[in-house]
Amino acid sequence: MNIDFKPKITIFHCINAFNEAYLQPLDVGKKFEVKVVNLACSSMVKDVFLLRAFEAGADAVAVLVCPEGHCRYVEGNIRAKKRIGWLQNLLDEIGLNGKRLYLFNTSAKNKPAIKDIIKQIMSDMAKIGRNPAA
Amino acid sequence: MIVGEQKPVAEIKELLAPYKKVLILGCNTCVKTCFAGGEDETAVLASALRLGFKKDGKDMEINEFTVERQCENEFIKEAAPMVAQNDAVLSLACGAGVQDIARLFMSTPVLPGVNTTFIGIQESNGIFTEECSGCGNCGLAVFGGICPITRCSKKLLNGPCGGSKNGICEINPDTLCAWNLIIERLTELGQLDNLRRYIPPKNWQTSLSGGPRRLVREDHII
Repeated sequence: MNIDFKPKITIFHCINAFNEAYLQPLDVGKKFEVKVVNLACSSMVKDVFLLRAFEAGADAVAVLVCPEGHCRYVEGNIRAKKRIGWLQNLLDEIGLNGKRLYLFNTSAKNKPAIKDIIKQIMSDMAKIGRNPAA
Repeated sequence: MIVGEQKPVAEIKELLAPYKKVLILGCNTCVKTCFAGGEDETAVLASALRLGFKKDGKDMEINEFTVERQCENEFIKEAAPMVAQNDAVLSLACGAGVQDIARLFMSTPVLPGVNTTFIGIQESNGIFTEECSGCGNCGLAVFGGICPITRCSKKLLNGPCGGSKNGICEINPDTLCAWNLIIERLTELGQLDNLRRYIPPKNWQTSLSGGPRRLVREDHII
């Protein structure tokens, strides 16, 4: 995977879906930069938070939510999913590419999952490139 | 409430193209409830426009502000300092709000960011339906609280057309037959005899068809 820039990734996550400490074994800062925002539930991620992450220079924004059917607040992850789908269309509409915005269903118990998530984002970034509005 | 829908971003970008500094002005009443122009939608649109214009390499300043209601001067005045600092205003209010802003700020171009669609209700989360045509002469008392002018596809006033099936309108499968609803409701209320009453052809002079309307309340004029 050839990538000629260091992608800036912003992660919004439900505290039950991910633990920031899981990023430690990864090469954060060398191949990519990460900003992490934790939320009591993924449904708290408002549309504007995600757009402002792109305004602040993020090349990719990932929202980590609990698996469907496992939200402590019943439907928080479904709400986040719908919101992200809507925003992906908006990003396409303004020419920023909706693929920069990700939703991953994961669990804080699944420690290795973040490695695959970062791998997928890095692979996509190699194709999509930098945030053109950064 | 008045229900509206935000215009596509591409159309909004085209409207804003001649300007360098634009205020996105939200309205926190009706259009907030239908997710078209409240504080949240204003922030999202402003952010999306900043990203979109920057991506296009266009030097554009997008500011945002939201007032409680854009159809009352007392609230609009709060936006005056912001309006003065911008080349144009994109109003996310209904058509009435856009015009009130335009009336108050004569020298600033005011553009619409929302398509005003109808007077309606939020039937359930995310679903809005038209319930009132604003005809100016309400007859809901006779029809059990269900308006055949707005909700019957044929606007019939003296009973059903006979074309509905299982309570669904023959014109549009997404529309419930208003007359089926009226009969069910009047039966429930024990007022089915209302249907024996002949409703003469409606006088549309009180509606928009009679020209722009004006309501004067002398008791509130000082």
